[in-house]
Amino acid sequence: MAAQLFFAALCSGALYALVALGLNLVYGTLRLLNIAHGDLAMIGAYVAFVAFSTFGLAPPVSMVLAAGLCAAMGWALYAGIFRRLFATPETAQRLEANSLILFYGVSVILQNVMALGFTSTARGYSYMGEVWRIGPVMASGNRLLMLGTALAICLGVLLVLRFHAFGWSLRAVIERREAAGIVGVNVDRVQGITIALGFAIAGVAGVLVSMTEQITPFMGFPLTIAAFVVIVLGGLGNIFAGIVAGFVLGFVETFGIALTSATYRSILIYGLFVTVLLLRPQGLFGKAIQVR
Amino acid sequence: MISPSLAAVSEPRPLLSVEKLEAGYGRVQILRGISLSIAAGTVTALVGPNGAGKTTLMKAIAGMIPARSGQIRFDGRDILAMPSYQRVESGIALVPEGRLIFARLSVEQNLRLGAVVPHARSKADQTLAEIYERFPRLAERRNQVAGSMSGGEQQMLALGRGLMSQPRLILLDEPTLGLAPIMVARVFEVIAELRQAGFTILLSEQNSHLALGACDYAYLIENGSIHLQGTGADLAGNDEVQRLYMGR
Repeated sequence: MAAQLFFAALCSGALYALVALGLNLVYGTLRLLNIAHGDLAMIGAYVAFVAFSTFGLAPPVSMVLAAGLCAAMGWALYAGIFRRLFATPETAQRLEANSLILFYGVSVILQNVMALGFTSTARGYSYMGEVWRIGPVMASGNRLLMLGTALAICLGVLLVLRFHAFGWSLRAVIERREAAGIVGVNVDRVQGITIALGFAIAGVAGVLVSMTEQITPFMGFPLTIAAFVVIVLGGLGNIFAGIVAGFVLGFVETFGIALTSATYRSILIYGLFVTVLLLRPQGLFGKAIQVR
Repeated sequence: MISPSLAAVSEPRPLLSVEKLEAGYGRVQILRGISLSIAAGTVTALVGPNGAGKTTLMKAIAGMIPARSGQIRFDGRDILAMPSYQRVESGIALVPEGRLIFARLSVEQNLRLGAVVPHARSKADQTLAEIYERFPRLAERRNQVAGSMSGGEQQMLALGRGLMSQPRLILLDEPTLGLAPIMVARVFEVIAELRQAGFTILLSEQNSHLALGACDYAYLIENGSIHLQGTGADLAGNDEVQRLYMGR
């Protein structure tokens, strides 16, 4: 029983970590609060659904398609709107201040376009549903695929941040955008790539969700909220801590529900959120550093 | 003698030349037509009161803020429209006022980020070793989080980060601001060492006395334009400079 719960917590933790990773990358580099983040996952979920039910394409193929589509949307937003606004400090400041409203608009548009196209009926498909016994744990194939994919992407991003020149540039922009340019980082390029990457990760997360749950055009909002809780837990813009915090949320939620009941789910999540905000506003793992 | 005419007349092509530069923030104009030129291998000082536009000029040369009009030529090339990362690639390193180090990254990560431009990245290990030799304190603290260091150490880190990009021109903006006297002396030692090593330096400094003593040529900026210029000794001997900026 405990092992089974542990596996469930690990799965939802990995998904939270992945959804939050994309949001955190975009927030960290561009300082934009993408409230439409979960809706990008919804787009990814529909890509997987259509690819599977209409074209017979398996979700691993859809992951590539969804990543490409969402990355293209991110790039288009950046090249079409954000780049010009980031060009001067005044407009950049205004963009940052209004990003919540802007992305709220994007969210409403995405939800309603998809509701028009696919109706708001819940959709689903069955892929790798067979159950495997691994020691004391019963695990369906699609959950194992979800867990493996989410872990691999999180690890991949961390490795890039640690070892690749692009990752270093990205960290410089997250840490201090105005100083990144003067050390020689092409901030414009880093921002464009990062928004595309963040959107792509959301799209893949949506594909993963669609393998195990029914999807609707309005599935994105709870994912957005979970992602926001996670990045606040980890400390805004702190990529590694955000991933850890995703697992913290997964474990608190899963074990909390098991110990109480499913009706306490929201109380557990928001309770954790508010407690951390009150006691450690810099995040669970954040260090308040004074710059002299 | 202090001459309002061209600086460094003997130099055929200065490393950096700025012509009638105008820049500012939003609707506020700070620089009102600044012209100056810097000869290779020299230390040039910018002195003047707070708010005169020294930092704005530094930022405009490094591309941190856009220029409204005028010209900036570096090594003969027009760099006015270049984004800041390309100016770093062409050989300009700004060591900014307030240092702007990456506080949550380690000392060594800060330094390595300084070598993010392609031509510097290939030599990063060698440059890093040289910087650790020049600043042993940074070597001792290489794995420490940069934000936990003292102000003087952070200034050395910011300078080291700038050096990592293999610059030909170093823009040192207010490097002694907020430092203890012993660290101020150390900063000026380092400036002299760098000059010896052949670097070209543009130094903005509120401590006019020290700056004028350490430079080859100096400009006094007031209200966003050049008020006086001449060798360091010329300006240091000028009555007005002495009265207003050196407290004599």
